[in-house]
Amino acid sequence: MTQPAPATQPSAPAPTEEAGSRIHLDVRTLIYRYGLLVVLVGLIIFFAATQPAFGTWRNGIIIMQSVSIVAIVALGVTVSLAADGFDLSVGANVGFVVMLTTSVMVVHDFPAVLAVFVGLLAGAGIGVFNGLLIVKGRVPDLLATLGTMFLFLGLTLMMTSGQSVSQGMPIDDQGTPAPGKVWPEFLWLGRGEIFFDIRVSVVVMIIIFVVVWVFLEHTRWGRTIYAIGGNREAARLAGIRVDRMRVLAYVISGVLAATGGILLAARLGRGDVGAGEPFLLEAVAAALIGFAVLGANRPNAFGTFIGAVFVGVLINGLTMSGFPYYTQDFVKGALLVAALVMSFSTLFRGSRAT
Amino acid sequence: MLAVRGLSMTFGATRALVDVDLDLHEGEVHGIVGTNGAGKSTLIKIMSGVHHPTAGRMLIDGQEVNLPTPLDASRAGVQTVHQQIDQGVVRGMSAAENLVLDAYADGSMPLLTTRRDTRRRASSIAEAMELHVDLDAPVEWLSPSDRQQIIIARALARSPRVLVLDEPTSTLSTTESERLFETVRRLSAKGVAVIYISHSMGEIEQLCDRVTVLRDGQVRGAFRAPLDRAELVAAMLGELIALEARADAHDFSGAEEILAVDEVPALPDGQPVSLTVRRGEVVGLTGLIGAGKTELIEQLFGARPLRGGQLRLLGAPFQPGSPHDAVEAGVALVPEDRASLALIPEWTVTRNITLPFLRTYEWLAGLMHSSRESRTAARFVDDMAIRCAGCEALIGSLSGGNQQKVVVARWLQAEGQLLLLDEPFRGIDIGSRRVIVQHLREQHERAVLVASSDPEEILEVADRIVVMASGRIVGEMPASEATTTVLARLMAGAEEMATAGAAA
Repeated sequence: MTQPAPATQPSAPAPTEEAGSRIHLDVRTLIYRYGLLVVLVGLIIFFAATQPAFGTWRNGIIIMQSVSIVAIVALGVTVSLAADGFDLSVGANVGFVVMLTTSVMVVHDFPAVLAVFVGLLAGAGIGVFNGLLIVKGRVPDLLATLGTMFLFLGLTLMMTSGQSVSQGMPIDDQGTPAPGKVWPEFLWLGRGEIFFDIRVSVVVMIIIFVVVWVFLEHTRWGRTIYAIGGNREAARLAGIRVDRMRVLAYVISGVLAATGGILLAARLGRGDVGAGEPFLLEAVAAALIGFAVLGANRPNAFGTFIGAVFVGVLINGLTMSGFPYYTQDFVKGALLVAALVMSFSTLFRGSRAT
Repeated sequence: MLAVRGLSMTFGATRALVDVDLDLHEGEVHGIVGTNGAGKSTLIKIMSGVHHPTAGRMLIDGQEVNLPTPLDASRAGVQTVHQQIDQGVVRGMSAAENLVLDAYADGSMPLLTTRRDTRRRASSIAEAMELHVDLDAPVEWLSPSDRQQIIIARALARSPRVLVLDEPTSTLSTTESERLFETVRRLSAKGVAVIYISHSMGEIEQLCDRVTVLRDGQVRGAFRAPLDRAELVAAMLGELIALEARADAHDFSGAEEILAVDEVPALPDGQPVSLTVRRGEVVGLTGLIGAGKTELIEQLFGARPLRGGQLRLLGAPFQPGSPHDAVEAGVALVPEDRASLALIPEWTVTRNITLPFLRTYEWLAGLMHSSRESRTAARFVDDMAIRCAGCEALIGSLSGGNQQKVVVARWLQAEGQLLLLDEPFRGIDIGSRRVIVQHLREQHERAVLVASSDPEEILEVADRIVVMASGRIVGEMPASEATTTVLARLMAGAEEMATAGAAA
């Protein structure tokens, strides 16, 4: 009975000091959790205040539209990252699908529905190929997808002997024009507006975002993918079919990249060689910025979405403020580096349990 | 020649070595044995200049030496060959280049070296060691044994006075080990003192002139050839409290056979072993490290392919191709290393518990019912007295013992046939151990197989005990007839009891 008394005595004067350090730690945690969101909101307010054209409904739609395809591809990258993989082939996949869908319609004169179907199938096929190369071939993910990236960049060129696909293009030496056309239904996917001027691609992005978010955060499969990403051997010994799930992650990544490719082809109305080029880096950047959102410190759908929007807001706002286009990459780089420091540096992790 | 005096080493609050004395004579093979965490590797790292002792001295020929870096240790005449062979050779280089690696490193090799020059130097090193390998072959083409011989040859080229071999046979086959033993004997004949670290009592017995036993960082025994294995093992395992036969150890010989292992070789070139585990029974599998316990258990769980023989689960043939198959069949494994093989770091207690049975917590098309998950977790936190700041606490914030309770709880949440546990009590506190033991003993509907190299743990948990040594089953008895002394003697592998006679 006499034991507890001395135990409480020395701790009595401590609370003031402790409370002080707790507040300090909490500030760091707040930055860690909400820092990026606060900066995003701050940027929006700043741009809206300084540029009258920025804070309009119209401009909001333009921003969402500008990031929609990147966000979709980035959500796919997020799934492969969550399984502790890496898909470098997404950019090549986008470009390949752009060419594939347009030439299915233009060169082979098939309907739009078939073009979309073939595009998605190709994306899934690329995912399966990546997955098998990594899981069965035991090639490290970065190297395997670097290989397939080149493979599909090459196939994209070979498909049309390096030519872009457009309506009426010559398809043989005699100059016979291509029989097919880019269907209006197909173009609608890229240019059509559903309601309040919101384009189809933005709606598709939001649907995919919600689906991927639910999939990763609230389904058994998402949990399994994160388990594999957290400790692959432990996941295997818990009875999870690790190989199967890893292939699935690459298939999802491939299908989402293909979706991005279809929307891009529909927006362009033609098959541009090299159209997919910027998407790898932009998508990876969005997914990595997403690590810092809400202090997740892991690949996550919400973060990726915010990451993509952040880049869009920043570029749009800076352009309106008169920043020249050639500063854009630098700005994106600075944002990415800042977000990565926030996620990985111990500077902002003071009060976390780990 | 080399003397260690009063060596102590602390890492934070852990005392890895306490006041260790060691004498090494010219031309002797000196074995160092001890269980995991006994301090063997710390001692070696100090002798090879990797760690710096908190207290104590090292003397060579009566002169005190100071070894701030591994290079200094090497200059003072102490050469160490580490356990991992592949860390000792440079892939992509030829055997010859690997032999003369030191000459590259210390600059005694001219900047522009001809292949012939390299070969000449290498072959003189190889000849001194009586090593016959294709010097031009890339080192990765050579067998592990050849690679190891290259590392040893390279160490010997520096004419060391002391050669430290840290578990050198762990990646070698039996014949390759023989070759190593010959090399060791040849060296000791030349006057080199060899420190030989191994878990294999057979090797120690065969090679060593003297043996020092470490336990809990202290020297707990010094022996001279001819060695008595049982004494050696007793010193390694510590105070053998002759535990009395447990009152609650039951005889299950009439119960239903859940698992039957029929002629399955535990080790690659080992003899096949057979055993059964019955419903409600806890079988303890004991043996020293390297006896084949883990290898056997991994085969039962489908984590490694069956080496031969066959398994039967509830009387039906059972051939798990993967852990997934095993889990589907109701077989579970608590693996040897919690952190790297069982837990998902950065996950909560709840999620770490429910991981293998996510399907039972879904309510619609794969969607998780997270409050049901939390309820299960809360039940186990309560039931097993898992100390944590709630079910949503990160697993990393729990102590080792409580983490282990989580891993056990993971498999108790659903019904199952067979629960396998590999060294479940390693590095956990006595309280957690009690809780886990109690829960294992309450599994009346399944069969439990616990592997541990600590006979005391086995006596605490098992109804029946099976002892392995060098991949063989050397004894089997009801827990009520076993004592730690008997178990230790069997584990040493010096004798074998007639299984039938003892069980009666």
